[in-house]
Amino acid sequence: MNDYLYLLQPRFKSTLNILKRYNTDRLVKTVFFGLLGILFWIGIYIIFHRVLLYFRGVQGIGDLLSERLLSMVFLTFFSILIFSNITTSLSTFYISEELNLLLSAPVPQERIFFSKFIETMTDSSWMVLSFGLPVFIAYGTAYHSPFYYYLAIPFILLPFLVIPSGIGITITVFLSKILPARMARNFFFLLSIFAFIILYLLFRFLRPERFTDPEAFGSLVGYFTELAIPASPWIPSYWATKAVLPLLKGGGEGLLFYFLMILSTALTSFIIVGWVSKKYYYDGWARAQEKKSTSSGWKFMESFLSIIRKPQARSLITKDIKTFVRDTAQWSQLFLLMALVVVYLYNFKAIPFDRVPLASFYLKNLISFLNLGLAGLVLTAITSRFIYPSVSLEGQAYWIVRSSPTSLRDFIWSKFWTGFIPLILLAEFLIIVSNRILNVTDFMMALSTVTIFIMTFGITGLGVGLGAIYPRFKFENAAQIPMGFGGVLYMILSMVFISATIVLEAWPVYIIFWVKFIGRALRPSEILIVVLSFFAVILLNFLAFYLPMRIGLKKLEEREI
Amino acid sequence: MIKLIDLKKTFNGFPAVNGITLKVEKGELFCLVGPNGAGKTTTIKMMTGLLKPTGGKIIIDGNDLQEEPLMVKGIIGYIPDRPFIYEKLTGKEFLKFFAGLFGEEGKTVDDKIERLLNLFELKEWSEELIEGYSHGMKQRLVISSALLHSPKVIIVDEPMVGLDPKGIRLVKRIFKKLSSDDVTIFMTTHNLSVAEELGNRIGIINEGNLIAVGTMDDLRKMAKGGGAYHDMPLLEDIFLRLTGGEELDEVIEVLR
Ligand SMILES: Nc1ncnc2c1ncn2[C@@H]1O[C@H](COP(=O)(O)OP(=O)(O)O)[C@@H](O)[C@H]1O
Ligand SMILES: [Mg+2]
Repeated sequence: MNDYLYLLQPRFKSTLNILKRYNTDRLVKTVFFGLLGILFWIGIYIIFHRVLLYFRGVQGIGDLLSERLLSMVFLTFFSILIFSNITTSLSTFYISEELNLLLSAPVPQERIFFSKFIETMTDSSWMVLSFGLPVFIAYGTAYHSPFYYYLAIPFILLPFLVIPSGIGITITVFLSKILPARMARNFFFLLSIFAFIILYLLFRFLRPERFTDPEAFGSLVGYFTELAIPASPWIPSYWATKAVLPLLKGGGEGLLFYFLMILSTALTSFIIVGWVSKKYYYDGWARAQEKKSTSSGWKFMESFLSIIRKPQARSLITKDIKTFVRDTAQWSQLFLLMALVVVYLYNFKAIPFDRVPLASFYLKNLISFLNLGLAGLVLTAITSRFIYPSVSLEGQAYWIVRSSPTSLRDFIWSKFWTGFIPLILLAEFLIIVSNRILNVTDFMMALSTVTIFIMTFGITGLGVGLGAIYPRFKFENAAQIPMGFGGVLYMILSMVFISATIVLEAWPVYIIFWVKFIGRALRPSEILIVVLSFFAVILLNFLAFYLPMRIGLKKLEEREI
Repeated sequence: MIKLIDLKKTFNGFPAVNGITLKVEKGELFCLVGPNGAGKTTTIKMMTGLLKPTGGKIIIDGNDLQEEPLMVKGIIGYIPDRPFIYEKLTGKEFLKFFAGLFGEEGKTVDDKIERLLNLFELKEWSEELIEGYSHGMKQRLVISSALLHSPKVIIVDEPMVGLDPKGIRLVKRIFKKLSSDDVTIFMTTHNLSVAEELGNRIGIINEGNLIAVGTMDDLRKMAKGGGAYHDMPLLEDIFLRLTGGEELDEVIEVLR
């Protein structure tokens, strides 16, 4: 056993090292995310606890409802776990760098397999498990279960978790026999992102916040009684439900039978996956190492980019686009971005304007105005992830630009335009579609499109500029870049700048609407305020765009590498 | 072609390069040798604009690097000691990108890229992403990129590190050929046999000071002045003597 655990040591040790190298920056982040996690946890607990208490109060079918909920929880876990085990095992079994070393070392293959199995299982299960914990505790407290309910849960869960791992890894091994692992991984990566988006959207459409309203529980009962949950006695999640249920009330009938069902299935699946991987794993792994050559589908883009006159700028932009597209970790985030946009626009559809018909005209225009600020925040988030790191992403290869006869001015401006063009398209899309949904006046539409246009200059310039003032050319993982001091400063400055723009505009817009409302013309003093505010907006945006770019350029010129 | 005038660089008060004055003629192959930490890389980085000198001047082809940085960088081909390059480009794309940075494009460049890829035996890999290259392949790619724009001056830091014997021979031959074509080469190395074989003139640097400059013959004379060495000392002996590394003999004694 010790021998097997030995192979897991590098993982364990590197985790320890991370813990050892705690600095305040990391501490703050851990505390922040820790608190967020705890809040989320408490939220899950409270929702489940209340729902369960309500169910218990329902005459006759209360326990049936709880059982259905529990079997739904287990079924959800089971399917998510299969999925996440597939994606995780693709990287732990096929792509991970250490495999080269391990597979060439004189270590028996079973041992590698076993340690990889455990690694895959923990990596893909801990998240689901931590979401599950408050649910099980909520069941326990709602049913005043005896203490051995809590003790038994881990013993039921552990073999239960082995089953989806076995299934997932087997699927992966077979898949890699057919597809190259890299392709399979990209494919599943996309699938998992889609799955995440769909889950998230489902969650939004379910509107869990309404369950805090007791009246909504009535419809929940109706929902659960009608819901046809696949409760085949052949699915492991069914056994888990049946094993947990009697424990809740302190009973034990059927517990041993279902527990043994889970345990034996877990063992069987472990043995099957061991056998399958012994037969097919090495082949698939060797195939995964074959590097595929790149296609030459870039001709179109290159001819499009030939509108840029300067060869230096064109080279840099072409290089950045290619690097972005070829880096799965980078472009895949575009899917999250899409989800963000869909949710963003959906929120406007969801606002119940019809309930307040009188105020709705002004309310809509007011919201369209606040929309600007909100869109600005979305753009800031995107910029901090995609545009702020653009200078740092040159990484250790920055010497190439620095020692070439390309001016840093061309360099920083090429970064600006590569970020600005896609961002402005997105910005105008967000603003125009959301204003369409809101059905705002032509005046607000014009004002918003022009303002977001100007603001995008500021948001991009601030991002590229601060990225150049605080570059991190030595990073291990590109995702770290926006997390540093400069990245946080960017977020703060950008938010301040957006709020300032909104406030500077809100005032004259308020005056214009007010004057229209009471039906008189603008006074000269009011016209002056309106004109001055708009000038102030333009000046502010110019400064937000120009100053950081300028300082960034200067810092880059002074910087030694 | 290259003039370094009282060139200095201090890092937080520590003098890494301590006032170097040096002239390299057109077409000359100059080797700067010195132990680890002597200030070779620092000197080179100042000559390519990656570091700003604390004092002194760098004149290349009659232009001051500080005043006309882009013009000077345009005639330099720089090969750094570690080949960090963009991993997500293919070898060929990298060379094209590199040419673009020098403002060069079109058919002539494409042809030259093909020739360089063939010369450095990278043709077969030219459509593959650089992330799959070995260290030596990256090094060869960087060397070909530095030759792409036909530089008048080549500045190289430890070119032989990471190359296989075949690669080393190729690079030696290319440098000799370029030098005979009037390209000036400024090279650092801690590999003394390379310096001895290639260098028209050799400079020895230690603790930021240029302690000796000259042809092999000059250096031999200098070392002989001290007495205790053979009639025809190798550069290694001269080097150890001048840089005070004689305790190395004791190390060898211990190892016996
Ligand atoms: N960026 C830096 N900051 C501080 N010290 C440096 C830096 N770069 C080099 N040094 C120091 O300067 C000295 C010369 O280094 P270097 O020029 O790299 O030597 P080498 O001759 O081996 O190339 C060394 O002592 C090194 O530690
Ligand atoms: Mg060095």
